[in-house]
Amino acid sequence: MAYALVALGFVLALNAAGAVNFAHGDLIVLGGAVAAFVGLSTALPAVLLLPLVAVSIGVVGIVAARIAILPLATRPPEATFVATIALAAIIEQSLTIAMAGAPRTVPALLGGGSFYVAGFVLGRQPLAIVVLGAVLVAAVWFLLERTQTGRRMRAVAADRYMARAVGIPVGRYVVLSLALSGALAGIAGFLLGHQFLVTPTQGAGHMLKAYIAVALGGWGSVPGALLGALGIGVFETFVAAGFGDVWASAALYIAVLAVLALRPQGLFGEPIGRRA
Amino acid sequence: MRLAPFWLVILVLPPLVALFALPPFGQRMVILAGIYGLMGLGYQLVFGQLGALNLAQGALFGLGAYAAALTAPVIGPFALPVAILAAAIPAALVAGPLLRLQSHYFALATLALASLVNLLAVHAENLTGGANGLAGFATALPRGPVLLAIVWTCLIAGVLVYAWLFEGTLGKKAQLLREAPLLAATLGIDGAAWRFVAFVAGGALAGLAGACSAALSGVVSPEATGFSIMVLCLTLVVLGGARHPMGAVIGAALAVGLPELLRDLQGAWLLAYAVATLAVVLWAPEGLAGLLDRLRGARRAPPVAPGLPESVLPVPGAQHLTIDGVSKRFGGVQALANVSLLVDRGEIVGLIGPNGSGKTTLLNVINGLDRADEGAITLDDRRIEHLPAHAVARAGIGRSFQALVLAGDAKAADLARAVATGAAFLLLDEPAAGIGDAERRALQAFLAKLRESGRGVLIVDHDIELLSRTCDRLVCLDRGRVIASGSPAEVRADPRVRASFLGLDGIAA
Repeated sequence: MAYALVALGFVLALNAAGAVNFAHGDLIVLGGAVAAFVGLSTALPAVLLLPLVAVSIGVVGIVAARIAILPLATRPPEATFVATIALAAIIEQSLTIAMAGAPRTVPALLGGGSFYVAGFVLGRQPLAIVVLGAVLVAAVWFLLERTQTGRRMRAVAADRYMARAVGIPVGRYVVLSLALSGALAGIAGFLLGHQFLVTPTQGAGHMLKAYIAVALGGWGSVPGALLGALGIGVFETFVAAGFGDVWASAALYIAVLAVLALRPQGLFGEPIGRRA
Repeated sequence: MRLAPFWLVILVLPPLVALFALPPFGQRMVILAGIYGLMGLGYQLVFGQLGALNLAQGALFGLGAYAAALTAPVIGPFALPVAILAAAIPAALVAGPLLRLQSHYFALATLALASLVNLLAVHAENLTGGANGLAGFATALPRGPVLLAIVWTCLIAGVLVYAWLFEGTLGKKAQLLREAPLLAATLGIDGAAWRFVAFVAGGALAGLAGACSAALSGVVSPEATGFSIMVLCLTLVVLGGARHPMGAVIGAALAVGLPELLRDLQGAWLLAYAVATLAVVLWAPEGLAGLLDRLRGARRAPPVAPGLPESVLPVPGAQHLTIDGVSKRFGGVQALANVSLLVDRGEIVGLIGPNGSGKTTLLNVINGLDRADEGAITLDDRRIEHLPAHAVARAGIGRSFQALVLAGDAKAADLARAVATGAAFLLLDEPAAGIGDAERRALQAFLAKLRESGRGVLIVDHDIELLSRTCDRLVCLDRGRVIASGSPAEVRADPRVRASFLGLDGIAA
């Protein structure tokens, strides 16, 4: 479910920017790191810590939009790729310096321990992740599908020239999308940071998973990205259970390459075709 | 552009100074810069010239390093050419399916491939030594000054060849492929072959660089295949200048020199490096080498926008273009239904019909941008309906586009470009859309010249008056079918044409 948040944030940024945000993985790591640092130094309860992390990474998302995405809107997508890769490196190196390389862990959302439901052992943290993930996904869905703001965000994503032509301030909505994307990344980092340690170099891995989820689920499709993320999670869990983590990753990459070799346009094609 | 003397000096100076004046430590740094330069130069071919974000260059570098480390104890210095092959052959194998992918899928696929190589390096411990890597092979490889000479000789040769190659038409073709791949295909440029050569050559350079780095450091660990090498490669190329012949060298020199300059800041040099890269992307997209060129005043003259050619020379080639029973469906839409028509040399045929009647689709099918479902297209006796666009262009069919495709490019230049391919037959898509009266008269005169020079022209436009004045025949399409064909007067008088194309009259009446 945490993958779903990762992929959801990624696809929002993707649609708004019209290009892959390679810094997304590092925003997640940054979320984990902020959570770990503030959590340890202030002993704030996790329920308050979470929104704090979401807001601060949201702000980083805004900064990212301002410096690496909006100024490059008229250039080919590769320029944005490179700018966000540079941004990713900046975040990663800053974190390496700040954390002095020592992995950190984030406090649990609902405290540790586990409890029994109908004979199954349920960890509190996984349960919290699933519930929170579901709530956030539903909230984003509501925002995009049921509010004027969301409609405008989708309009900007679908066709920014047309959106500008009908009077939508495109830049503002791109920034808004990136802020939302950043907030989701921060929350995902918070959640993942308790299960796994936070280390500065994880960003590329997170980013790759989100990238794969989006590519498999249909480029730019929000439900597709969620399905793709869940699919990856299930796939990895099963292969890892049977053959170990290494084979799970290898199988995932091979599966992606196979899909791209057989269907160069992605598993479900692209909503927008080539413009001749 | 040919390499200016200024750059030549900068290129040759480091190895000479290193050989004769620097202590071994300084030599190591110059070798390392050369290695990064080689990797970056290879990367420029794919990323700079073709604009494809290849994220597997680091993995190819790693393949070269491992290949050298594994084979050096057995075959000694011959491990270097083996390493080149070890990177180039896998690159050639994956190039086919990879290069069909569009930008973001290409980036993803190369990233997945690189991740696989990295997994292999870490976990195939019998072969690669796992996380500890391989060591103890370096005595069999060139070292010290010899290595320096090898690396920089290859680099200097590479930069000179690169500068020479991309100076003239080749550079223009690469630009066209990068910025307007459809247009490139209609001018007879085989993009697939291009991308293949660039990708494999880039991989070979990465392999060589990897092998040399193995020789320099004496160890190869999974880090050699990792994402950080890839990011370094990408950033140094962007920083130096993605297309400038000296871009990789300048970037590499910074990548090696900066950590020394900023040694007091410890790990912060990578941070500074990333910040600098971002700044370059934002404010100096041509890179530092391009920036230096600008400061030196060596700016190239701005290109002169060409107008319509004054004269049009006759060209050899096929005499008849025949479209026979061509059909094309897009999903549930019958875009073309059993369309047949003939264009001879020295003849101008106008294609008319309401929006969505299949005019542009017909042009696309003829010149190979779309493939017909049924029917035959022939130039004299040669079937061309199965050929890709670049091959159709070489067979003698030129194409101009609607203004939409050209994004800021002048229509006249586009027409001139189509004519300049030397094609016997020209497909012109709305050449008169959105132009003024004077230009319209010039276009009419130009079409007459095309006829005199013996070219066959198939022209789509909404300006019926212009077509009636210039065309020998008109063909009217409606919902993918030919509903009328003949002299302009006949076709305009045809009741079916009036009903469909000029149908607004009927409704108004």
